[in-house]
Amino acid sequence: MISDIESRLKSKFPDSLLNVVSKDKRITFSVKKEKFYSILSELKDIGFDHLSDVTAVDYIDEQEFELIYHLWSHREKIRAIVKVRIPREVPTVKSVVGLWTGAQMHEREDHELFGINFEGNPNLAELFLEDWEEIPPFRKDFDTRKYVKEKYYQEDEQYPIVKG
Amino acid sequence: MEEREIAFLTIPFGPQHPASGHFHALLKVDGETVLGLEPHPGYLHRGFEKLMEYRVHPQNCVLVDRADVLDPFSCELGYANAIEKIAGLEIPQRGRYIRTIMAELGRILSHITWIGVLSMVLGFDSANKIAWGDREKILRLNEIATGGRLYPCYLCIGGVRRDISQEFVDETSKALDYLEGQLSFYDYFVFKNETFVMRMEKVGRMSAEEAIDLGATGPNLRACGIDYDVRKDEPYEAYPEVEFNVITREEGDAYARSLCRRDEIAESISIVRQLLKNLPDGSYRVELGPECITLEGESYFCLESARGEKCFHVVSDGSPCPYRVKIRAPSFLHTLTEFPYLAKGSTIADIPAIYWSLDSCPADMDR
Amino acid sequence: MKKLTPKVIKSKSEARAWSVWVINYFTACGFMELLPWVGSGYDMERFGILPVPSPRHADVFIIAGYVTTKAAKRIKMIYDQMASPKYVLALGSCPMTGGMYWDSYATIKRVDEIIPVDLWIEGCPPKPENIGHGIVMAANAIKGGLKGH
Repeated sequence: MISDIESRLKSKFPDSLLNVVSKDKRITFSVKKEKFYSILSELKDIGFDHLSDVTAVDYIDEQEFELIYHLWSHREKIRAIVKVRIPREVPTVKSVVGLWTGAQMHEREDHELFGINFEGNPNLAELFLEDWEEIPPFRKDFDTRKYVKEKYYQEDEQYPIVKG
Repeated sequence: MEEREIAFLTIPFGPQHPASGHFHALLKVDGETVLGLEPHPGYLHRGFEKLMEYRVHPQNCVLVDRADVLDPFSCELGYANAIEKIAGLEIPQRGRYIRTIMAELGRILSHITWIGVLSMVLGFDSANKIAWGDREKILRLNEIATGGRLYPCYLCIGGVRRDISQEFVDETSKALDYLEGQLSFYDYFVFKNETFVMRMEKVGRMSAEEAIDLGATGPNLRACGIDYDVRKDEPYEAYPEVEFNVITREEGDAYARSLCRRDEIAESISIVRQLLKNLPDGSYRVELGPECITLEGESYFCLESARGEKCFHVVSDGSPCPYRVKIRAPSFLHTLTEFPYLAKGSTIADIPAIYWSLDSCPADMDR
Repeated sequence: MKKLTPKVIKSKSEARAWSVWVINYFTACGFMELLPWVGSGYDMERFGILPVPSPRHADVFIIAGYVTTKAAKRIKMIYDQMASPKYVLALGSCPMTGGMYWDSYATIKRVDEIIPVDLWIEGCPPKPENIGHGIVMAANAIKGGLKGH
């Protein structure tokens, strides 16, 4: 079954798949940004009806965000992972709300914590933070210890340092 | 004839509310009917995943307990397994058995707490007090094995921190016998109680397709007929070596979800009994050198917590602290997509029953 | 046979000390060790302590666990609505110094920057016996005339 899925996607999107790894009932696709929505749509048609998660990772040295979509097929009991890289300067990507309703909240969380813009998501209002004025807190250039030291501790006060 | 103005009222199901945990929702109502629900989470947000990037892996094993306050052991299990997958470590059999025993005891604890909270919000104080007294049996077992009642901090990378004693094995058997007797009491007192059935049956119903589209997992999904249980579909720890059933129901309403959880308590009791009977001897932990701290790689580990599918995505780049940790919390979608969907069209008085039948933990949702 | 004499409550403070009503607010992870007190494990109702839903009925505000910046405003609102005399108990190490989340961008480090606190109970979370010791200490202090705010 996994080999069928692999060959079907390879034949349909020959230039968009950068890397395919299949191991232990899991397939991992690294795809180019241009066709990633069609690839996800194709995977949904194949039978991956459960979207577990939409994760974002900030690779600041490479100036890219990586979005990772975790999918599961209830019928075949296979997991598929789709990874796509987007530029850090203009992090805009198409939303997958049309395919899975549950994606709306995952994307809203990533928008708030990373600053990624999902086009087509009906509501990207703030979720966890209220009146937040700094940069999105999960980005690598936001140092939470420096922020806390400046905001909550007096200038000469000792506070525990665990990692330098 | 005068023109009558119709206005809709917005009621806060506020953060300070006996039936809401620490979660805020705005209900748009017309009389008694709820037309829409807008969730406002974030009252318990700590930025957990960011905090984990500043601590080394053994410190994170202790911190990650508190990501889900009602089922802490599942978080520890997930993080330790994700790191062990990157390192390629093989845990000895006794360690795996002990971990599975603690995980199942944690599941029983979470479900009994859920019975208590659900009874409290339905106005059934007696069941609430009795259930929260029964929790003490399992917390006592936690204390014997690990020293900590609620947040065990027992797991480490490579196994468990210390071995279990004969006292633990004896006390666990006694506690399981007691809980099995209590289950038949709860059947008669709570689950077959006419008022309980009337308040939960046909309330908050969803079909299988809707549940899958909204992202439901755990007992919420199994009550709609889909048999997705990570312990059977992607087995981990000692689950391949025990026999248990995956509990499903067809109706998809609040009562079906409650019965699914009640049956899961019985299955967990049977799993722990099997594991205690076949507990192997040997070491419970792999001795690790400093090379286990500087790991490079990425892994995605899924497990079945008491609430549903919980997954840990860990990216490590060779430094002692992880580069990125993402916790897929089951309560995130229960509260933010399923609850608004099910609340539409119901009455105000049914809102607590729907909310707690989904068994969501606000600390798990916000992280 | 020993003659039983009825207990006479001699002062207003003593009456207040044994009927303390707590506001029903599940704060955070430190709250989990209050559950045995609410339930039948340790049962606080025999001390006269009852959880009530409305801030206007309550005497004591228990802050059990960490306080986020979003929740801090609401805690101040609830505290302002409680009627005097009122007392505040802080449970756990997170309201004291920030606790485990001392480096989190979203939590308040010291809760007595927003509301005055009368009793601190340490632990992460404190065991139910510690909480009981704190409750009895607080009740005795109220009986002895501790002025609320």
